[in-house]
Order: sequence, then C-alpha cells, then structure tokens
Amino acid sequence: MNSVILNYIQENKDQIFNEWIESLKENGDERVVKVVSDQVFNSTSYEFIDVIIASVKNSTEEFTSRLSDFSEKVVRLGWPLSFVTKALNIFGKIVFQKMQGDGLVNNENQMDTVFEFDRWMNPMVNEMVNMYSSTWERTVSMQKIALQELSAPLIPVFDNITVMPLVGTIDTERAKQIMENLLQGTVKHRSEVVLIDITGVPVVDTMVAHHIIQAADAVRLVGAKCMIVGIRPEIAQTIVNLGIDLNQITTKNTLKKGVEAALEITKRKIVKVEEAE
Amino acid sequence: MRSPRIPILKLHNCLLVSIQWELDDKTALQFQEDLLNKIHVTSANGVVIDLTSIDFIDSFIAKVLGDVIDMSKLMGAKVVITGIQPAVAITLIELGIGLNDVLTAIDLEKGLEKLQQELGE
Repeated sequence: MNSVILNYIQENKDQIFNEWIESLKENGDERVVKVVSDQVFNSTSYEFIDVIIASVKNSTEEFTSRLSDFSEKVVRLGWPLSFVTKALNIFGKIVFQKMQGDGLVNNENQMDTVFEFDRWMNPMVNEMVNMYSSTWERTVSMQKIALQELSAPLIPVFDNITVMPLVGTIDTERAKQIMENLLQGTVKHRSEVVLIDITGVPVVDTMVAHHIIQAADAVRLVGAKCMIVGIRPEIAQTIVNLGIDLNQITTKNTLKKGVEAALEITKRKIVKVEEAE
Repeated sequence: MRSPRIPILKLHNCLLVSIQWELDDKTALQFQEDLLNKIHVTSANGVVIDLTSIDFIDSFIAKVLGDVIDMSKLMGAKVVITGIQPAVAITLIELGIGLNDVLTAIDLEKGLEKLQQELGE
C-alpha cells in the first residue's frame, strides 16, 4: 500500500467523498440513482471510504476480509456491477486529480504514482467482480438443481398407476433424466400403467416426439404399459404433419380420460358411493 | 473356465428360465440351442425369461435374445420377458432393439399371469 496516497485520502476524506458522490450522481445510471435511496447510497459510499482508510492502520489480511465483507454487502444491495466498477473508477480518478492539483504528483514521480494507483485499485475491482461473479454462479447452480428437481416428477396416483406430468421444453439432457426417472419409478412402484402428461409441453417437434416414443418403448420393456395424455389439437396436428408414428402407443387428450383408460386396463373403475340408508 | 449352462425348468405347459449372471457370447448361443431343444422335447407353449438379476446387456446378447424370441415363436411358444431393469431397458432402446411384439412384465409372477392369459384365450 502506498501510504502517501492513503494518507492523502484520510486527510481529505470529506472533500473527496462529497466530490465522489456528486460525480456519481451526475455520471451514474439514472436507474440506479433513482432506485437507491440517498441515505443508503451515502452510508454505503462512506463505508467504502472507511474500508480504504482502515487499510492504513490494519494489516493486508484484515483489509482483504473487510473488503470482501463490504463487497458482499454491495452484492446484497443488488447494485449493478457496471455501476460499482464505474464508481471505483471515478473514485480513483478524483483522488488522482486532487493529488495532482495539490502538487503531490509531479513529473518526476508521475509514473510511480500511476503504478501505485494501479496496484491499489486493481485488487479492489477484482474483489468486487469476483464477489459478483461467484454470487451469480451460485445462483445459477442453485437454479439448475431446482430445475432438475422439478424436471421429472413421478406420481403414483393409484395402485399400479403412475403419472408423470411434463412441463416446459424438453431437451436431450432432460429427456435422458425423464427416461431414467420414469423407468426407475415404474419398477419401484410396480406400476402397470404409466401416463405421461404432455399438457405442459409447449412444442412437440420430431426430437421431443422421438424422446417420448423411446421412453414409452423402454417402459414397455420393463413390463408396464405407457400412455401419452394431454395431446392438444395443435400437437396432434404437428405430430401428423411431421409424420411421426405413434400407433404403438395409446394416446388420450386429457389426463382424466387417461386415468379412466388406465383403470380399465387394470380392471378397476370408479363408482359412485350409494347413499347409506 | 467354462461357465455353467443356464437351467431351463418346466412348469406345467410353460418353460421357466432365470438368467442370473452376465452371459458371455458362448453361453448365450448355448442357451439359444438348449431352449429350442427343450421346447421341442416338452412341446411347451409358453416361455418366461426372467432378467431381474441382469443389470447390464451388450448388443450381441440383446440380438441373441431377440433371435431366441423369434425362434420360439416359430416353434409355437409364446415368450414373456420379465424383470428388465431400467438400465437394461435404456441400453436396449439406445441400441435400437425395441423387442417389438414381445410381451413384457415387471416380475415373474405377473409374467406367468400374462402368459396364462395369452394362452387361455
């Protein structure tokens, strides 16, 4: 750490701070300035200066941990990364310009000061970017897990009758998972009839149809009967227009009809309870 | 070492085969021959092949299995395959061996039931 720079910041703390805030409000994205309340904005910016000044007194390690704490806070506040990096940039510029104005930077030590500045600013920017990107990565991976959990549930609705409702687009990876879940569930629940409900699948193209047919074939191999339900008119049209052969598989238009047919296959039916005398 | 032959048991008018270990090519062919002979000798009209303990299958064995089913059909015996594991089902489908027109059931019990139903009609 260059103590000249830091001492300068500490001495001119309030002045730099005010100028920084002004310039941020001028240059900053209007959206951010509007969304973030003045109070939060000011206190957070003030905290940042404190963090920097603390580095004069404390060791590098402590500074790093404080900096990462601070970055975490900024991430939690939900400020855009572009705004934060810009703010850091402007802060550096202001300090540099003020130091130049006060004659602390002259022709002799110009290069050294620029290098020092670089060494001082870069870790801070890096830390911010790292914090943001790791938060994003965490979010993405959590969403991926959630998506996987939601992607292929298998519900045993009656003895020997199981339903798999599919919602959303089906790609190859998901199709594989659907197939695995479907077969394992079929064996586990000892199902005789498995209904695949495609009401929630927006588009059925050749690839999706191929995956569904494969799944149905595989279900047949493990000894159950597969039925595709929830075929909407437009899906029926696409299937026929694409020349996909679904003759081997029973299809129904609604889950209700599918369940009725499944009960029939397993030699059961739903009857109305007679009124007790 | 020569792997032992696969036992084929007779139950009333049906033949019962339980494959308990991974077949090598030789055993598979031996099994094909044995089963056909047995069908001929006992004039059985139904065969149940149980694959519950098989959790891996290669293309050759799958082909042999398909052949055995077709051959048995030619000899007038209906075949039911039981207990295909999910992994095996996926392999078969990926290999393009759909075992079309073959009866399947989840376990031996259901398989025999299905066979009796088919034969009874």
